[in-house]
Amino acid sequence: MSNAFVNVTVAEFSCVALHDGGSIRASLKGNADGAAIDALASLLAQVHVEAARLGASETVVDLRELEFMNSSCLKRFVTWISNIQALDGSARYRVKFLSNPTMHWQKRSLHALRSFADDLVTVEA
Amino acid sequence: MLLPYIEMSCRPTVPLVSVVRRFVTEFYKRIVGDTDATSRIALATHELLENAVKYSRDGETRLRIEVDTNSTPHAVRIEMQNRAEPGHLAAIREILDGVATAPDPMAFYQSLMVKTSTRLEGSGLGLARICVEADMKLSYRIDGDSLILTGDAQLYADETESAA
Repeated sequence: MSNAFVNVTVAEFSCVALHDGGSIRASLKGNADGAAIDALASLLAQVHVEAARLGASETVVDLRELEFMNSSCLKRFVTWISNIQALDGSARYRVKFLSNPTMHWQKRSLHALRSFADDLVTVEA
Repeated sequence: MLLPYIEMSCRPTVPLVSVVRRFVTEFYKRIVGDTDATSRIALATHELLENAVKYSRDGETRLRIEVDTNSTPHAVRIEMQNRAEPGHLAAIREILDGVATAPDPMAFYQSLMVKTSTRLEGSGLGLARICVEADMKLSYRIDGDSLILTGDAQLYADETESAA
């Protein structure tokens, strides 16, 4: 992928982030367990930097092929969203999660993330 | 009727936690027949095992999962036992007492998210996640230096799945 600025595979987890017009799209696949924590933290940090650089109004996070996410990885999303909340109003960007209804954990975890920041987070099934 | 259950003793590692979660998922898919309920059991099992990997004194862990399919709705009990450090016992007590006494468990979970968002090690969310996302009542008891965490839940049918 030529416009990918992150493309990492660790154990059973892989993530790609790329520029998509004026926004950013990150796709997560596989199993986000204890082996994936550092890769995910790095991905979200780079997405945050790129979103600020581009002045993006939205980032899309595609979880449709993500089998599972543990609480340590979920917390990386909480940290990322907290960092977005800490930005000045005009610099804030929204986060849209693409979810897979057959992965039932996603419905519950994304509900928790949306409740954490319902002005920033949307979920699309 | 005799109830099917899983009981295992192991010394889990990070990769093995996912192996056990997948086995538990496949096992209970066949018994419970509801993928949403099975995912709640799997999530709780994964978080409890990771907790043991991080905080067990010697890694030795006993896991038992039983589902009472004679009751309506089915009832599940997950029990995890390992030797734990005193400092960890205090942290567990604080989280579980917090969830148990919170008028709104989701609000308590959100407050933990805020509190732990800058924490570098671990998540501090795993046990509260079991209570809120897996909709499970967690309790603990201490026997010597052993920590026994017990999760109980009713496996109500997922409404969206039933309607499909």
